[in-house]
Amino acid sequence: MKFVVLTKAAVPLSSAIRIDPKTGTLIREGVPLSVNQWDRDAVEFALKLRDKYGGEVIAISMAPPSGIPALESLIGMGVDRAILATDRAFAGADTWATSFVLAKTIEKYVPDYTLVIAGEETIDSTTAHVGAQVASHLNIPYVYYVYDAEIHGNKVRVRRFLEDEGVDEFYEMDLPALISVAKGTQMPREISLLRKINARDRIMQATNKELGLDPECVGLKGSPTFVAGQTGATFPPRKRKIFAGDPRESVKALVEELKKEGLL
Amino acid sequence: MSSKFDVIVVGAGPAGLAAAYKLASAGFKVLVLERGREPGSKQVYGGRIYAYWLDKYLPEFRKDAPTDRWVRKERVSLMTDESVTTIEFEVVKPEKTSFVTSLYSFTSWLGKLAASAGAKIVTEVVVDELLRDEKGRFIGVRSGQDKVYADYIIDAEGVNRLLLERAGIVPRLKPELVAVGAKEVLKFDNRKIMEDRLGLSEDEGLAWAFAGWPTEYLPGGGFLYTYRDSVALGVVVYLTAWRQLVTPVYDLAERLRTHPYIARLVAGASLQEYSAHLTPVAGISMAPPRFSYDGLLIAGDAAGFLMHAGVLIRGVDFAVASGVLAAEAIKEAGRPDALSRYDDKLKSSFIIRDLAAFRNADKVLSGQFAFNDLPKLVNALMRNYFTIEDRPPTIASALKTTLGESNVSLTKVLINMMYALAYL
Repeated sequence: MKFVVLTKAAVPLSSAIRIDPKTGTLIREGVPLSVNQWDRDAVEFALKLRDKYGGEVIAISMAPPSGIPALESLIGMGVDRAILATDRAFAGADTWATSFVLAKTIEKYVPDYTLVIAGEETIDSTTAHVGAQVASHLNIPYVYYVYDAEIHGNKVRVRRFLEDEGVDEFYEMDLPALISVAKGTQMPREISLLRKINARDRIMQATNKELGLDPECVGLKGSPTFVAGQTGATFPPRKRKIFAGDPRESVKALVEELKKEGLL
Repeated sequence: MSSKFDVIVVGAGPAGLAAAYKLASAGFKVLVLERGREPGSKQVYGGRIYAYWLDKYLPEFRKDAPTDRWVRKERVSLMTDESVTTIEFEVVKPEKTSFVTSLYSFTSWLGKLAASAGAKIVTEVVVDELLRDEKGRFIGVRSGQDKVYADYIIDAEGVNRLLLERAGIVPRLKPELVAVGAKEVLKFDNRKIMEDRLGLSEDEGLAWAFAGWPTEYLPGGGFLYTYRDSVALGVVVYLTAWRQLVTPVYDLAERLRTHPYIARLVAGASLQEYSAHLTPVAGISMAPPRFSYDGLLIAGDAAGFLMHAGVLIRGVDFAVASGVLAAEAIKEAGRPDALSRYDDKLKSSFIIRDLAAFRNADKVLSGQFAFNDLPKLVNALMRNYFTIEDRPPTIASALKTTLGESNVSLTKVLINMMYALAYL
């Protein structure tokens, strides 16, 4: 069985976030990237299925080459190999263009996949679009927020818990299918040093030369989403007032000050 | 699952990477293990690297290492809450003897150098243990469940040398041996503003040490270094003194920034980074019993190779040189039980000589004279001398008035001057 995990090398730090003023999109190049933390749940989920049913786990990502260390750490967790779709043409993609590239990468390099597994959402964009869109591109069924799965023949039975309704749901889908794993439901395993040492050898890079996708369908050009406008959150200058001394008194003084500013 | 290398280096700092670079260049199969996200990401220093020994041990740095600003101006200030007395030294013709740069960029450069020479650098790995065989020889490292073996291990884990402690080579760090530093990096939108305020021309650097007020008159000091378009502003306090602090250590850098004298220099600059770290202050007194064991060499801060002599603070040149010497020792030894030559190399190098010269520096630097009496006295003296009042306008009269106002005797001043001459 082949378990494909979709993963994103995300911008982890709010201080590292910079927006391209022309396109209004997130700048990823020259920024430290690390594995989107909810993808670790997806990877753990995939590894458990592999350990139970056999086969391999393949991580697939679209990122600039600075996304490689993120894939190395997933290989350190136990992922068997990774494919990085990377090309300047892919830059500035919205979720649609991203899921197009991911789906085409799966079709080309893992055509016999069993199950595609995604994290619930990313920490730097939080759309939760990509899983559903990849499933649409691949024309396979999908269920979100899964916490458990069993494979029976060519069917997968999945469970998910809906918090608001307090309902535990079961679904059965034909394989291949796609699921997204509810965040925080798995205990991602530790990263092994020995696996990390040779991780680089298990990462394949595919540019658009290999993938051969229509340039109109990828990157900024292939993205129907455009940033119509944005209001930057302006940071008022800090007043750097320190209310020292007895905590009771200083809290009172602080509250007074906030009232005076019209903030309370 | 196991794996075998010629050399494992623990710690991708200046010491570890210099060793890795030299060994990989000589054809050794080298593995560098680093806890941080990438080489340099967990390091903190004040801001300056001295070039003299780097030219001897790692001349490659002249070619393309990041050197934000070469230091042209040295300042030492004695500071109180109401005044500052400064000595400034500036060479007329710019020289290239020490430079200010972010340690992260320097280490990152060294990491690329080591990697391009063939060293394998694996990051985000915590080494839990140095492995020994039944005869006590060091044969590898353990990280979690994984063991990796090598003929030689170089421990360059830094000041907080937990692996050496666990291996029973050194006792737990004592507070007398270390200080804690906290610093801010403050970025100027326009670096011309920074240069104008500090009296620098383009690309010129300033290294500035403060004594007195920044540490609440406790042993330690403040510092300011100029990066390309930002300044590193911070405070180092001896760990023996931190309990006496009114301000928490983590607020000391901010407290210094808000001193009226500093505030106007950094006005408008935005806080870019905040970091803190332990730093060795006792130099050679922190050294392990030996620097080489069968299969193991110790380099950099882990070996205590940092010279802290008040104003003169040198770490990176010591670290790099010790890494290079470790690499040479391994190359020449040819076998893991012939590494004692590393100790010999260190002893005949500047490393042990310079550290030994400051063996007693902390006698001066951990007392209260240098950080409490001296800044207060000198500032009072200056004020008394420069303020015209109804008394003879002589230095002698100002000194007499100053000493009369304080509880420090002239004898104490003279004794401490002699200590300083003897030990610093």
